[in-house]
Amino acid sequence: MRRIPWGILLALLAGLGLGLVYAWMISPVRVIDTEPDILRADFKDQYRSAIAAAYAATGNLPRAQARLALLGDANPADALNAQAQQMLASGESFQQADQVAALALALSENGDAIPTGTSVVEPVTEIANNDDASPTSTFPPPPPDVPIALTETPQTLEPEPTQPVIVESTPRPTRTPIPTFGAPFKVTGQDTVCDTNLPDGLLQVLVYNKNRKQVAGIEIIVTWDGGGEKFFTGFKPEIGNGYADFIMTPNVTYSVQLARGSDIVSGLTTPTCQASNGETFFGGIKLTFQQP
Amino acid sequence: MRTYRWIFVIIALIAGIGMGLAYGWIIDPADFFDLTPDTLRADYKADYVLMTAEAYRAEQDPALAARRLAIFGAQSPSSIAAQGLTYAREHGFADSDIVLMQELVTALQAWSGIP
Repeated sequence: MRRIPWGILLALLAGLGLGLVYAWMISPVRVIDTEPDILRADFKDQYRSAIAAAYAATGNLPRAQARLALLGDANPADALNAQAQQMLASGESFQQADQVAALALALSENGDAIPTGTSVVEPVTEIANNDDASPTSTFPPPPPDVPIALTETPQTLEPEPTQPVIVESTPRPTRTPIPTFGAPFKVTGQDTVCDTNLPDGLLQVLVYNKNRKQVAGIEIIVTWDGGGEKFFTGFKPEIGNGYADFIMTPNVTYSVQLARGSDIVSGLTTPTCQASNGETFFGGIKLTFQQP
Repeated sequence: MRTYRWIFVIIALIAGIGMGLAYGWIIDPADFFDLTPDTLRADYKADYVLMTAEAYRAEQDPALAARRLAIFGAQSPSSIAAQGLTYAREHGFADSDIVLMQELVTALQAWSGIP
């Protein structure tokens, strides 16, 4: 019976371990030519901001949708809404947060439709060694001057000898006018709220888009004799993306409107309510705005 | 006989290292997520430059455009934009998009003092 060559086996295992340590930790493969969906979360946020800024400038929603699709969000509108809230909460530029919220609103109004045929080719993540980055060729997206055609037929690119690929054209949007923010919001509800659990004089505002989805980042202007203040929806996502509130002072009359255009609700004063034990207390008001 | 055995041990060690490298680099490389934008494919980079150029056309704020492009790392914003423009020209982007990107490159070069 032959003896087991333990020395050789141990050397083999040690070499294997050393090789793995080197390959996984010391000098892991470098990823190049990646797609936006595997970017770090903060870079995805910046990518979304750039998409929203471009959309704000061009009003090109199909192009914005195609770009958002690259990020692989399950629901781009929700992701944008959450980002807008986060941006407002962290004190970032209101203009940029507003652009993100406006794109979310536009997507919601369009039913979050992501254009089909957006995917240019199967995701290609090429891996190259640190010292030998030699990406193989991949097909770039089709040129941007291809007009949108909803009934596009698949276009066959000239195949390379070893790489026959059939690519569907990416719909390349044409320029469209810069959008307005939609029709002015209408007041659909004005209710007195008598709840001893809520702060006295609480003015609650709920803003919905035309699809009955709450909208974050909407600026609300409240004015009174000798003063005024602005506040925004979205700071209390635990209550609702389209929720905002303000504390009214008793015996002061307020007017409320949305900066983006809405009915003006005037003559609002803190209501007086009666508790079950007969005591009176200051109640609140709940206003609901919706885009028709 | 003893020297002969050590040769086998060294050969086994080298073979093990080779197998480890092959496994770690080719068969099951380290997982990648949370990547930085400088790893993006050239067409996505060019599209990002185009987004920045579209926004710049409306905002006319080169500092903001430069901040947007700064996600690509250490290169200057104007050279990032110039690379995007080169890609766009070589890959048949629409003329209107190329004009926007050219405007961005020019603005960033002026902003950063590049003649």
